[in-house]
Amino acid sequence: MCFKNLPVEFDAQGNAHLKGGVVDPYAYKPREIKRDKLEELLARNGHIKDVSISPVTRVAGALSFHAVADLQERKFLEANSVATIFRGYEVILKGRDPRDAIYISSRACGVCGGVHSTAACEAIEMAFGISPPPLGTVLRNLALALDFLYDHPLHLFLLAGPDYSQVVVQATSPAMWEKATRTEAPNAEVHQFKTIGDIMKGLNPLSGKLYLDGLKMTRTPREAYSVLFGKYPHPQTVVPGGMSSTVTITDFNETYTRLQKMIDWTKRMILLWDDLTEFFYEYNPEYKKVGARAANMIDLGMWDDENSYDASYARCNEWGEKRSVIDGQLVTTKLQQLNLGLEEFVEHSYYEDWNQNGKQRFATDPSGAPLSPNHPWNKETLPKPSKESWKDRYTWDTAPRWDRQVVEAGCYARIWTTAAAGLMPKNEFLESTGHSLKFHMPKTMLRAMDFEWKIPTLWNAFERNRARAYCMGYNLMVAYTMVLKAFDLLRKGEDKVSTKFEVPMGERIGVGFWGAGRGYLSHHLTLDKGAITNYQIVTPSTFNASPKDPFGNPGPYEEAVLNTPILEDFDKPSDFTGVDMLRAIRSFDPCMPCTTHIYGGEREIVREVNTCACSAEG
Amino acid sequence: MGEIPEKHVGEAGHHKQRESSTMGLPDQVGNVARRTMEELAEDICASQGKSKFSLGPLEKVYVFWLAGMSCDGCTVSVSGATEPALEDLLTGSIPGVPLVVLHHYVLQLESGDHYIQTLINAEQGKLDGPYVLVYEGSIPDENLTVGGEPFAGEGSLPLWAPSDERRRVSTAEWMKRLGPGAAASIAIGTCATWGGIPAAYGNITGSMSLMDWMGKDYRSALGLPVINIPGCAPVGDNFTDAVQAILLFLQGLGPLPEFDELGRPAWQFSETVHTHCVRAGFYEEGTFAKEYGDKECLVEIGCWGPVVNCNITEKGAISHMGGCMNSGAPCIGCTMPGFPDKFSPFYKAPPGSLVSSNASRLLGSVVRNLRRISQRERNREIRWHDTVPSGWAMERGGTSLTHKILEVFYEAMQFQGGKAPERDPQKKFPTGYQSLPDRVYTKDYQQLPEDRVLKTEKRV
Repeated sequence: MCFKNLPVEFDAQGNAHLKGGVVDPYAYKPREIKRDKLEELLARNGHIKDVSISPVTRVAGALSFHAVADLQERKFLEANSVATIFRGYEVILKGRDPRDAIYISSRACGVCGGVHSTAACEAIEMAFGISPPPLGTVLRNLALALDFLYDHPLHLFLLAGPDYSQVVVQATSPAMWEKATRTEAPNAEVHQFKTIGDIMKGLNPLSGKLYLDGLKMTRTPREAYSVLFGKYPHPQTVVPGGMSSTVTITDFNETYTRLQKMIDWTKRMILLWDDLTEFFYEYNPEYKKVGARAANMIDLGMWDDENSYDASYARCNEWGEKRSVIDGQLVTTKLQQLNLGLEEFVEHSYYEDWNQNGKQRFATDPSGAPLSPNHPWNKETLPKPSKESWKDRYTWDTAPRWDRQVVEAGCYARIWTTAAAGLMPKNEFLESTGHSLKFHMPKTMLRAMDFEWKIPTLWNAFERNRARAYCMGYNLMVAYTMVLKAFDLLRKGEDKVSTKFEVPMGERIGVGFWGAGRGYLSHHLTLDKGAITNYQIVTPSTFNASPKDPFGNPGPYEEAVLNTPILEDFDKPSDFTGVDMLRAIRSFDPCMPCTTHIYGGEREIVREVNTCACSAEG
Repeated sequence: MGEIPEKHVGEAGHHKQRESSTMGLPDQVGNVARRTMEELAEDICASQGKSKFSLGPLEKVYVFWLAGMSCDGCTVSVSGATEPALEDLLTGSIPGVPLVVLHHYVLQLESGDHYIQTLINAEQGKLDGPYVLVYEGSIPDENLTVGGEPFAGEGSLPLWAPSDERRRVSTAEWMKRLGPGAAASIAIGTCATWGGIPAAYGNITGSMSLMDWMGKDYRSALGLPVINIPGCAPVGDNFTDAVQAILLFLQGLGPLPEFDELGRPAWQFSETVHTHCVRAGFYEEGTFAKEYGDKECLVEIGCWGPVVNCNITEKGAISHMGGCMNSGAPCIGCTMPGFPDKFSPFYKAPPGSLVSSNASRLLGSVVRNLRRISQRERNREIRWHDTVPSGWAMERGGTSLTHKILEVFYEAMQFQGGKAPERDPQKKFPTGYQSLPDRVYTKDYQQLPEDRVLKTEKRV
């Protein structure tokens, strides 16, 4: 049984329909936020502190955070995640030629270079009824793998990294720094940093070796990306029906040498993050609670199988499962179910409820399964700038939920589902075991090494960062596999990268189920008379940065902060820096540009989601 | 010149740190290192020691990076720059270029009010150096959000107040507050330079460019209008290149950087992207790509290169690598003020190409064929006549009569007005030299060891 909360049942054939006898099946009564007690505590002041961080730096885009901290009990009583921009892209897309969606939606986010153009392309392909030739699909996979290979080092060493650097640790926990300088790093032989203190020193902004090498390593995959796809971000080589790259042997060779460099470096960095994580746990087990929350995750899976992917909704469950998938306890790997369970709520966001405007556009999906009026296909973006209030509305982000549960997106959601589902086709380099993800990294300057990312029993800020380091290795081996596949196709003479298409004039819907560096990404599109009638985008940070939902559940950043103990040293309340909560927030790798995307359409369609997660009680 | 500083590798932790200015502030929330990124950069710079001679009056320049309706793509591009590299600017490692103290929300060590405090210091003229503003993203019309949250906010005021007494400040407001005192204001990326996607048709936020927002009378403290570095995303190196050029000029070292009538660095943007395009030769010969992935000129599948001011084909996208057309992507005009509406629908041949590409097709069909003849003849060694000793299937060794006639004319023109060199191979090579390779294995190589000869035979 896939859904716990939605009024949807499945019959023996697996077809979804509404539960009988319920009058208004999707209706709910929003829960009010009560903070009288909190306000009273705050008024008395003293150790109860109103913490306002505007802006939160070292994240992509505009994020603010508000919290109320009890500095005596060393915990957080309230947490509000605040997205501070709105751009209205979805309105801009309306009425345009569908082909424009690729380049325009790409501009939703310049942090992930080409994920939006690819998702838009998949939605268009579904609507147009076309699909890319094998080399086109392989190139897309390669592009996205390279994309993430820039993205993860950026986060680990430039955004999150400084929170674990000497300058920060020394300022917020001098005793820990003292111990770090005396603690030998278990994997020093591989990564060459003798003590944990050396690692922390390496993470120092602007001067640390890890910081500077991390910055340089974000360039290496972007060089390969630019050679194959033109530029980063916003490549113009993603076209309906494939890619427009003119691939040459030199392009692949240049990519190959860059992969080799990255393999060497990544081997070291995975073990380095292992060492750093274990040191914090050992220093004080309370660090296991920083950023903790239940492992409820969602992902759509990625890396289409070049022989299975046909862009159709009808077959999405089949080609979807050829991708990789995950979940705390895997609830579903069916893209259609992932799609049906999706709803967006705006009770605490600066938008008006679109359901007041009358009838729901789509009562069912293309296969006849029931759709919620709050599903993105039925959504309309109605911005309503209003005054910030912790009781009422406080962000430009919406609250997407799956089966009315709070789910988290991330690159780790992808490896989690991939590991748990065990559906990924095995090859020499990658294997999903059902409880872990194994990958083999061939010999470079360093010896050949095997890695295994085991599904963690805890879920917190440190595990997110550690998983991101493992994701580098995983993505790298995906990229490597894709280069080999491309070689193989070229050897067979299959060098076509695109398919011809015409813009259809009838009414069409399409969904792009894809992923970004930070996980889940879907684009939902409806067309008529050759123009876009609605366009909606759901991004990973839309989930992660979401405010409270009408059922009273905080969004993932908020929940993670509420579970975070205050471990830093301070003498008086005014010395409190909030480093623990910032570590918790940053561990999600917030990316606000696409969070506050592109809303503005009337309806949209979706194809399906492949990975899914949403499990629970992890 | 100057002595090599004793210590040439700086590290913040090794240097004796000065007391941080943040210690006197009422609250430490967000100040995770208990000192600002600026102070850290200066510590690093100081730990590197000083050259004996100064290479200009400026020691450091603050750069405040503000974002409106942005996707952070410009930031990402600049992080990839290597000519010069961001990290070299930020640590004052380039001789003659002052230390660039970057205040950027993606890189900054401190958050919240500690981050905003530096902006306030700039506004109040309390910084110990000039500052430059960089704006990324278009500027929304915040008149539409009066009484509510701004479309693009950064920070809230008053600083250090409880959250319910604060008001979020739009980045548009920061621009107005800081603009007059800035040494220069730089718009980076097409959104900030010309409005870009957020300002396209359907724009519900009233988005516009920095020039639109500041007005044509805006001048920075140095008397400069807004400097524009367009591109979606721009080439990161165009930004650092322009910054370095300006700074070296201000130091009295570099030549005057010129800007065109739209405020773009003229040396980067005065040519079209087609001028330096790796596929421009195909255009000239009238051969065009028909499908995505084809290697020819992309005009007929939607490339606007011939009318777009951009240098990406020459400069590359990153580390001089890539570039749209270099890899097969048609130009969609992303550096231009008319982007996107005057270029869409994308993937469709630009209307103007009807005349120009057909003209080049016509001319090209003649030129191309003549060139192929010349090219073929120039693919022959002077000693080859009717046979070519290639094992690679080059079987058409012989030269046709047409080719021979054309070659006579060609050669006559080649040496017109001068003396043609001696063309008799018998005189050109030593006596007894046989220019045909047929004899090689039968004569000299006879003296090679037996097995070498056998191998050769086997191969034949």
